Amino acid sequence: MKKIKEDLFALLFILPSLTAFCFFMFWPLIRTVYLSFFDWNMIKPVKKFVGLQNYITLLQDDVTYKVLGNTILYILILLVVNFVLPYIVSFLLSFVIRKGKSFYKTAFFLPSVISLVVGSILYVWILNPVTGPVAMILRFFDMQLPIWSKSEGLVIWILSLITSWKVFGYNFIIVLGGVMGVSQEVIEAAKLDHIPNYKIFMQIVLPMSSSTGVYVLITTIVQGLQYVFTPIKVVTQGGPNYASSNLIYQSYHEAFTLYKTGEASAFSVMTMALFILLLVLEFKFVEKGVYYEN
Amino acid sequence: MKKRTVTRVAAFIMAAAMALTGCGASDAGTAQDTVNKSASAGDGEKIKIEYWHCNGEGQGGATVEELVAKFNESNDHIEVVAKYNPDMYKGLMQNLQAEAAVGNTPALVQIGWSFLEYFSNNFAYLEPQAAIDQYDAEDSTFLTDHFLPNILELAENSDGGQVGIPYSLSSPVFYYNVDLFREAGLPEEGPKTWEQVMEYSEIIKEKTGKYGLYIQEPSDNWATQALIESNGGKFMTADAEGNVKATFASEEGIYAYQTWADMIADGTALHISWEEGVQAFNSGEVAMLYTTIARRSNIQSSAQFEAAAVNSPVWEGKERVIPAGGCFLAITAQTEEQQAAAWEFEKFLYSIESMAAWTIGTGYVPPRKDVADSPEGLKSFLEENQMMKAATTQMDAVVKWTSFPGDAGLEAEQIMIDVRDEILNGDVSARDGLTKAQEEINALLEAQ
Repeated sequence: MKKIKEDLFALLFILPSLTAFCFFMFWPLIRTVYLSFFDWNMIKPVKKFVGLQNYITLLQDDVTYKVLGNTILYILILLVVNFVLPYIVSFLLSFVIRKGKSFYKTAFFLPSVISLVVGSILYVWILNPVTGPVAMILRFFDMQLPIWSKSEGLVIWILSLITSWKVFGYNFIIVLGGVMGVSQEVIEAAKLDHIPNYKIFMQIVLPMSSSTGVYVLITTIVQGLQYVFTPIKVVTQGGPNYASSNLIYQSYHEAFTLYKTGEASAFSVMTMALFILLLVLEFKFVEKGVYYEN
Repeated sequence: MKKRTVTRVAAFIMAAAMALTGCGASDAGTAQDTVNKSASAGDGEKIKIEYWHCNGEGQGGATVEELVAKFNESNDHIEVVAKYNPDMYKGLMQNLQAEAAVGNTPALVQIGWSFLEYFSNNFAYLEPQAAIDQYDAEDSTFLTDHFLPNILELAENSDGGQVGIPYSLSSPVFYYNVDLFREAGLPEEGPKTWEQVMEYSEIIKEKTGKYGLYIQEPSDNWATQALIESNGGKFMTADAEGNVKATFASEEGIYAYQTWADMIADGTALHISWEEGVQAFNSGEVAMLYTTIARRSNIQSSAQFEAAAVNSPVWEGKERVIPAGGCFLAITAQTEEQQAAAWEFEKFLYSIESMAAWTIGTGYVPPRKDVADSPEGLKSFLEENQMMKAATTQMDAVVKWTSFPGDAGLEAEQIMIDVRDEILNGDVSARDGLTKAQEEINALLEAQ
């Protein structure tokens, strides 16, 4: 009896967040899966059931694979800039550099409080290949900034750069917390034994802060892709010819530019399946080696 | 004690849940009231009508309020309430849909050109001539007296019905940098034909090292339509049964497109996003800019040089054809009383004074004939604003902005945007790209 009462009580405490989750996550999720089997444009009174046709159309479309390729490139770039780099910088700041630490911390973190829309507009101006300040400086050295917003490949690098500018600071602060949590004595001992810095980093700091590392790894992939959405929307709208679109922007594009609700839902469902797969792989292979202090 | 805590928690949860569902229910009411307080004055006799518009702050919103207030003061039996709808014509259409579903429509609404077919297929409206015959019979030739036939045609649906009266009109014009023209020794009155534009671009590249031309590249094909159709091509053609087909990949269309792509390939024209392109023009790095008259005030305030505008260029020996942007007004009032009031207000909006105020406040070209020359109209404004003339003097060439019919329309538009990048990036020739795009669009149109 007491057990049941306790359980009910616990449930009651979960209820507020559970309600919010049901309204804003589970219900839309179920609805998306449902809509992916229909041909609909959000306005028509009748939804036409088409079975798996939306999925088949997408799998036969070259654009889907192009967008998937773009997405992988985005993930790789973002991992280097927003995961590997913050790690290295944190290590340097914690154990190698002695002066000006708080200045660096503030400078790195500051951009992450600025809206990405504002950031994107700023970068369009800064990196305008004809009139922007960067182009002016390059011209001084007789170089030209390519017209990146219309160049396949390059456009992904620049949009990743804009996104990183926003994401880097936050990831950096989190990683820094993890890295500073590594006991100073261990590092001191290693230094006394003349262990080189890269070995300290690889064999002591990395394993001991791995719980933070995994968190940042996952958020970099998942949130990074969501953040990239903003510069895509503001700067290129997925162009030129889908060269800068990613999975998330493409779902949006199908849904709210072309009003193909069914295909957009199918696209979202496939994207979600892909991310579930990534998470399963993560649990299976990465999670085992993670060190949790408590 | 413990029990009471539980009740409290439960009460809190219920309140939270109600707040959440409450949010969901109020979605439809995003249109904001901007009631003119001074005019309402608690008079129960007045007929109250709603006017729905998309003009936010900085986009003519102040002018709407000013016109409505003026109308409310000038008469004793009608009170107009202006409602602003965010997210432009698409947002207004969504709100209208929600209101119509509960059987309560506004009296007068702004409908964007691309929603003409959709609106006339799905909503009940009163045709302007019917409104005039019914409520204003002594002025039965109002439409033909004051509007050019090609302008009225803009608001005609595919069945030939006059859905409304054109209200906000924009058209593409040709801006150029007079200082750069002088430096390169080019005529200061600007180009008249696209052939001249090509020639001037080369001279500018040679003499000043700057880019010659930028043609706007937003997520639509408005400017492209002007380019192709001014060469005698046709975006879309209807056969005798009224079936439409995409026909932009004609010799004329291919020639116009390939010329544009060649200019980009040899570095005399710029291929870049719209925002960057206008920035480049405003800072004097591109000598000529082809974009909408709605950018006029932005260019006048940002350009650091003497800028001028001329009519949209033609191809040698061809007629000028330019698509219209903006919206028309349609009467959606359902009762006779409301319809009569809606027409009275609409007629006020089309008076010379109101039209002039609208042009000054928004930058749109007046759709009505005699506004430009009238002293109560825009005479003095146009004398000071030479740029505006580029748009007001080409009204006879305005045609409908092509939108492919049915559900495939949006996708067809997207195909045109995608192929634009392919051609301008030099990945395909204009011939191959346009032919492929045309086939794809026709397959879509046939399938529906």
